Amino acid sequence: MQIPFRHVQGAHCETATIAALLQHQGLQVNEPQVFGVGSGYFFAYLPFIKVTDKKFPLVTFRAQPGAILKNVGRRLGVKWHDVTFKDPAKAMDALDRSLDAGIPTAVQTGVYWLPYLPGAFRFHFNAHNVIVYGREGDEYLLSDPVLAEPVRCSRADLQRARYARGDMAPNGRLYYPAVVPRQTDLRGPVRAGLKDACFNMLKIPFPLIGVRGIRRLAKVVQGWPRRLGPEMAALNVGHLVLLLEEIGTGGAGFRFMYGAFLGEAAGILGIDGLSDASRRLTAVGDTWREFALLASRTCKGRKVVERPYDRLAELLRECADREQAIFRDVQALLRRGAA
Amino acid sequence: MEGLEKELRALVQKACDLDDARMATVTDDDPLIGPESPLGLDSLDALEIVTAVQRQYGVRIDNQNTSIRVLQSLRILADFIRQEKAAQ
Repeated sequence: MQIPFRHVQGAHCETATIAALLQHQGLQVNEPQVFGVGSGYFFAYLPFIKVTDKKFPLVTFRAQPGAILKNVGRRLGVKWHDVTFKDPAKAMDALDRSLDAGIPTAVQTGVYWLPYLPGAFRFHFNAHNVIVYGREGDEYLLSDPVLAEPVRCSRADLQRARYARGDMAPNGRLYYPAVVPRQTDLRGPVRAGLKDACFNMLKIPFPLIGVRGIRRLAKVVQGWPRRLGPEMAALNVGHLVLLLEEIGTGGAGFRFMYGAFLGEAAGILGIDGLSDASRRLTAVGDTWREFALLASRTCKGRKVVERPYDRLAELLRECADREQAIFRDVQALLRRGAA
Repeated sequence: MEGLEKELRALVQKACDLDDARMATVTDDDPLIGPESPLGLDSLDALEIVTAVQRQYGVRIDNQNTSIRVLQSLRILADFIRQEKAAQ
């Protein structure tokens, strides 16, 4: 049994999955629009939350998992069927039932347990979204947005991945859009998403969030060699790179995707200035990547600049300054556009 | 862009600080990254390659999924650059 479904490779699993499910139901929204309307753009440095064996502080470049789905539903009028299961057998039965009903269904999985992924990319991350669109014998047909082509996965392997343990354990979660409007005017949702991003990056009165969070991280990174010693400082920097460039789409990837969204928003809202903001944010993505590259070299002990931690902090401050200027301009453009 | 695979071979060697003997173990069709690769490169090396490609050819590999696809081999990376340059 196979539901006709168009596989599309995406930039980030959650946004690509949501866009593909909505497109299948006839709602024409693309991945950057899902990211923007879903208020996915974010930054937080949360030192009191430790990850990876509780050793390293959490740094996140996107809204928390699930937030994009919720915001997209609220703003586009989509009602999601979104459930978890204590019992793995019931979780697999529920998946089979929705496939039998002809519904391509997203499941949350642990990346490490998906055998079709190349070894280099199988790490312990439990919030990976894939779409199941068919079943043949003991195998499921999967559209994994990470890959260029659809893949197959055995029932046992998929069940194991749906019940991976640890942080963000999927608990057999599955979801699909139960109610989708036939058409939607994107202007209101796009404007709401932009306002949220401006608020999150500029206005949250907490020094660890938004551009202030980036500046706080800069200060902390600069002090790592003195406070932690060279070995632990290098490990911390390595952890930061993994968060930046490996888990999900990372800092640079999200900046590139939001840059694409700003470009689309310019057309949807008829505000030309957003195209300029789009180009500038894409350029900030390149600076985040430059930061990741220097951090990677520092962690590996490769030849780097003099005083690499000072330079890393400088790059972070540069990103913060430029993002602050961009979102202030976006705010002003929205105000003018509303007038 | 004749000989792009050869240029990319030199780029990968320099970006990842590999010696000639190690670089000689990889063909144009071998995986570049991961345990399946004769080079044994990891995701941090992937970042080096992605950045070097952008600097040298002006082609941005803008997310991890594209990296997974195009870093499958020197040949696939070369094809990707040719396509992107043609589209620019």
